[in-house]
Parts: sequence; structure tokens; C-alpha cells
Amino acid sequence: MTVLTPILLAPAAAGLACLLVQSRRLMQAVNGLAFAIAAALGIRLLPQVLARGTVKEWDDFLCADALSAFMVLLISIVSLASSLYAGRYFNRDLAAGVITPGRVREFFVLTPLFVAGMFLVVLVNNLGVMWAAVEATALSSVLLVALYNRRTSLEAAWKYVMLGSLGLALALFGTVFVYAAASRENTEPLPSFNWSHLMSVAPQLDPRLIKLAFVLAFIGYGTKAGLAPMHTWLPDAHSEAPSPTSAMLSGVSLKVALYALLRFHILTTACLDSAFSRTLLLCFGLFSMFLAAPFILVQRNLKRMLAYSSLEHVGLICAGIGLNTPVTIFGALLHMGYHALTKPVLFFAAGNIHQTFHSLEFRVIGPGVVKVLPATAVLMALAAVAATGLPPFGLFFSEFTVLSGGFAANQTFISVLMLLALLASFCGILQQLTRILLGAPKAERSGDARPADGVPAMALLLGGLLLFSVWLPASLRQLLEEAASIIRGMP
Amino acid sequence: MNPPAHADIGTQLITLLAAGMLVCQLLLVVQRMLLTNIRLFALQSLLLAAIAGVVAYFHNATHVYVVALLTLVGKVFFLPWLLNRLVRRIQIHQEIEPLLNAPTSMLVCGGLTLLGYIVARPFTSLERLGNNTLAVAMTLLLTGFFLMFNRRKALTQVLALLTVENGVMLAAVALTTYGMPLVVELGIFFDVMVAVMILGILVYRIRETFASMDTSKLSQLKG
Repeated sequence: MTVLTPILLAPAAAGLACLLVQSRRLMQAVNGLAFAIAAALGIRLLPQVLARGTVKEWDDFLCADALSAFMVLLISIVSLASSLYAGRYFNRDLAAGVITPGRVREFFVLTPLFVAGMFLVVLVNNLGVMWAAVEATALSSVLLVALYNRRTSLEAAWKYVMLGSLGLALALFGTVFVYAAASRENTEPLPSFNWSHLMSVAPQLDPRLIKLAFVLAFIGYGTKAGLAPMHTWLPDAHSEAPSPTSAMLSGVSLKVALYALLRFHILTTACLDSAFSRTLLLCFGLFSMFLAAPFILVQRNLKRMLAYSSLEHVGLICAGIGLNTPVTIFGALLHMGYHALTKPVLFFAAGNIHQTFHSLEFRVIGPGVVKVLPATAVLMALAAVAATGLPPFGLFFSEFTVLSGGFAANQTFISVLMLLALLASFCGILQQLTRILLGAPKAERSGDARPADGVPAMALLLGGLLLFSVWLPASLRQLLEEAASIIRGMP
Repeated sequence: MNPPAHADIGTQLITLLAAGMLVCQLLLVVQRMLLTNIRLFALQSLLLAAIAGVVAYFHNATHVYVVALLTLVGKVFFLPWLLNRLVRRIQIHQEIEPLLNAPTSMLVCGGLTLLGYIVARPFTSLERLGNNTLAVAMTLLLTGFFLMFNRRKALTQVLALLTVENGVMLAAVALTTYGMPLVVELGIFFDVMVAVMILGILVYRIRETFASMDTSKLSQLKG
């Protein structure tokens, strides 16, 4: 039975259906249902991919391998949690009068389209269409970033769309070069631009063109993935967007751009047979980790701090892939998954704090969140412990895997650098968060604290994180191992 | 594949049209009236559509005619119309003083053109039709970036982005025999249209909120 098509259609249909629906409750239900269907289908896809290697549909237009299947799971779970959280969140915003019902409807229409775009990126076989899909995810999320229509959110949205579009124009240039290289050997009209075809002819492609294409695609998709120094839009967009959107941007959208980048990396390695692309990944990954740490330490805004923490995690994932041993790539993929389960929890908690204290500045929130919002504070503390890489949470194991893989591969210097950067942001996040979470509140808060809001979504993700931290199912492990060997160019 | 005997006419035509696109770009860099800028962009897109038409004719590739038609409808008529309407609605007609004045900008763009030719030099042997079209495409990309950083009005930045896009499409025509697959071209076309509409919405909201579309006022978020 076909799986890929319904994964794409469910969120797209939900987005269009929300255009017609009036009731907000119904819109939220439609959103949640669509993402739940996608998640269920993603789980169904898993054994098919494991059994057959690749699943193809529509005359090879859609093609899923282990890497795509893993991404599908991440996208569907994070968007499901986000839609669970969004309903109450916007109800409170509406009650506070900071948003209009029209804008909330915009959210419920655009979010499924955003998700459908991400599914298309990871499922489509054709690199040109993949570019168009990445651009579609950027466009559908711009208006979500600008949802509150404040001065600062407009500024963030403008930076996001301008830098994103410039980057993506470069990525399109790179895509055109790959296509030029592919059509060189082939004089029939419409030679295949498909990923599966490109990989089969990779060694024959013109290496100069592929190299140039990779550099352009690296800058382009790297901008969208938030790699430093092209990350300047990231803290703005993540802090100004409504919390459910911040969670999606940080949890999966960065990784979807990284996925597009990885496809180019795999192709380049297969064509050049050199360390060119992975060296770039390693350098920029390390640079992102080092740039993030000081910004976390001096940050005064909660969501901006979380955004810089995402930058650090993306850096670690890139560096792990750049080290290019089976162990480090496996660790990087594992890290991608655990980070997707952790970061949204922090953003949801930040949303609750924002709505209660009407600010994201640490000095306004002040000490003592645990007294005002006990459930939120506890869940946030747990997620922060997870995000900084402490046991028993999975991020500890994935960071450990990447680092031990680095040491085992005799990359001692690089591994020590990574360890230092991790340590610095570890101190930064814990120090900043203990300052606001613990202690006695400055003044008695009025009754606008609603402690139970958003807890189901946060508990769902944290529960999942804890479960998969202690027990990684055999099929999931096999999926990750296969995805790692795809990235190493040995399918 | 043997090119038809009259292909050198096609080569010359394409070279001429590509040079015309470069001239439009340089005029855009020095021109400050927004409406004239939009017209220059429309003219540049018209030249691009003509190049696609010539390629389609000399290669007998029907689907490239579709690309030419899409460019004509979308970038020559629809987008300029949309942007014109936006200019009238927000009542701002002139760009304020750019970061660099016109002569300096011209000098910088001369340097960027040189750079574009140097970057494209190793790849000229790969071009299918026309000479130096890839160099022009590179130059459009570089000067487009410069235009974006040099100007402060949100609308001019949108135009700069669109000229970068024209550069990429020119490269696609120059480097490949039959242009890109139609599904990809359609995807790109659709994205560009939606992008401009969304940018238009943002420009309008920025103008409403800030009483200006000067992007140097967008400077609250730091660190």
C-alpha cells in the first residue's frame, strides 16, 4: 500500500480545510489529526524502508530511504506536539488581546502547509523540486514568524525572509550546476535530475562543477540550517515567532535544511572521492559550536538563549557528520532525534513563561518561576538538563557517541574542542536557567498563572525522550545505522 | 549532438540579449526612482524571456517555450504590475540616499563584473549557446547582492532579490541544453510568485507599523 503520498497529502489537505472551517477548536483538531495520521504512516514506512532499502512512488518522483524515513518520523512527532500545545497557547493570547482571531486562523492554515513542505523536502527524489520545497517551507513560515505583527517580529520576519531567500538563491545556483553536470553526459531531452539517478552516475560527473555546486549549496542551505556565520536570522526569528512555531523551526526546520545539505554532501563525496565537503561541514560545525557558547552566556532573553543553544546542537550534528566515521555519524543522527524531542519542550515552557510574565527578559521574569508555574518549571528544568547533555537523557549518550567516535578516530584535537564548546554552553544554560527557575518570586503574581497549560505536549515529548534514551528499539537502531551508511556513501 | 548550421546566429543573439540584461542591472544600481526600477526589472525579464525563446527555437525544445512564456507572464507583466500597485498604495516613490553614491556604486559594480567574468572563466567551455552568458549570470548574482546591501528601501531589496533570481535562470539556460525539467521550472516559478506576494505583504505591514519602509529602522534585535 502506498504510504508516501498520504504523508504529503494529509497536512496539505488539513491546511486547505482550515481555510473553510470557522471554529478554532475544529481547526486545531484538524491540524492534530493530520499530524497524527502522518506520524502513524511514518511508523508504517519504517519496516518497508528496512525491508526494501528505498520506497518509491509516482514513477520515482517520491523516494524514501532510511534517512528520509527518519526525518519523516521527527517532523511528524514535533508537529503533532506543537499542534497539541498551540490550542491553549492561542486561547490565552486571544484572551490577553495580543492577537486577533484572523491571525490564529493564519497559524492553523500555514502550519500544516509548512509541515507538508518539509515532508516534500525529505521525500522527493528530484533535487530541483527539493529546492522548491525548501523555499516553500521558508515562505510558509515567514508569516508565522510575523504573526504577532509587533515591530520586532516584523523585523525578524524581514531578516528571515531576506537572508533565507538570498541563501536559497545561491542553493538554486548550486542545483543548476549539478543539473548542468548531469545533463552533460546525456543528450536526450529531460535527463533525469533524480537523486537515485545522480548517485548512479556520480563518478562520471564533472568534478569542477560539482565542487562549485557544493560550495553554493553549502552556503545556501547552510543559511537555512542556521550554520554560523550565516545564522544571524536565527535568534531573531526563533525569539519573535509564537512558541509553537519556534518549536517547529528549531526542532525540525533547521534539520530539514541540513538534510538538503547532506544530500549535496553525499553526492559531492561520491563524485570527488575526497574529504572536501566533510571538511567544510566539520569546520563550520565547530565554528557554530564555538560561536554559540559565549552568546548563551551573555544572553538576556530566554528564547534567544534557546535559539543559540539550537545553533550549538546543529553545529555538533554537522561536526559529527564531518568526522565521517560510522560511530560519529550514528551519534550525530541520534543527536538530531533527541534534540528534536527536547528543544520544543523548552520553547513550550518559554511560551508559558512569556504569557505569565509578559516578557522574555531574564531580569523581568526574575527568580522563582517554580513557585508561580510549578509544572512548567519542573518540565523545563528536566528538558534543560537533557539539552545540556546530562544523563539519563539521550543527548548525553549521543554527545558521548560523537566524542568517543572522534577520539577513536584519532581526532583528539577536534574532539577536545567540541568538548570545550559543549562544556561552555552547558555552564551557560544551567546558570541562566537556575537563576530564573529557583528562588523566591519578586512580587506576588496575580491569578493569570495557569500552571497546567501545555503540560500534555511537554510531557509527551519528554516521555518519548526518556523512553528512547533508555530503550532504542531494534528497528529504529537499524534505521539509523542504514541512514549513517547512506551519509557515508555506502548504501 | 551537432548544432544546426545557423546556431551561430543564435549564439550571437543570446550574447547580445545577455549583455542587455547586464546593462539593465547596472542601470538599476544607479536609478533611484522606484517606478523606473520596476520598469528596468521588467525589461531585464523580457530579455530573459527572449533568451529562453531563442534557445527553444534553436534547440526545438518545446518545453523551453513554456519557460519563456512563464517568464513573460510572471516577471514581465504580473510582478511589475503587483509592485507598481504596492508603490502606489504605500505612497513612497523615491529611494533615499543609498549607502554608496551613484559613481562609487558604478565603480563597485564594474569590479564585481570583472570578478564575475573571472569566476566564470574556467566554465566557459561548458556553455551550450552564447558566449559569456555564465559570466553575465554570475555578475547578476554579485551585483544583485550589492544592490541589496546598498539600498535601504524594502521594495528595492525585493527587486534586488528578483534580479539575482534572473541571474540563476540565465545560468540554467546557458549551461544546460534544454533548460531544467518542466516540473522544476514550474516549482521555481510558483515559489518566486508567492515570495513576492509575501514580501509585498511584509513591506505593507512594515510601512503601516513603522510609517516607513526604510529597513535601516529595523534594528532593534541584536545579540
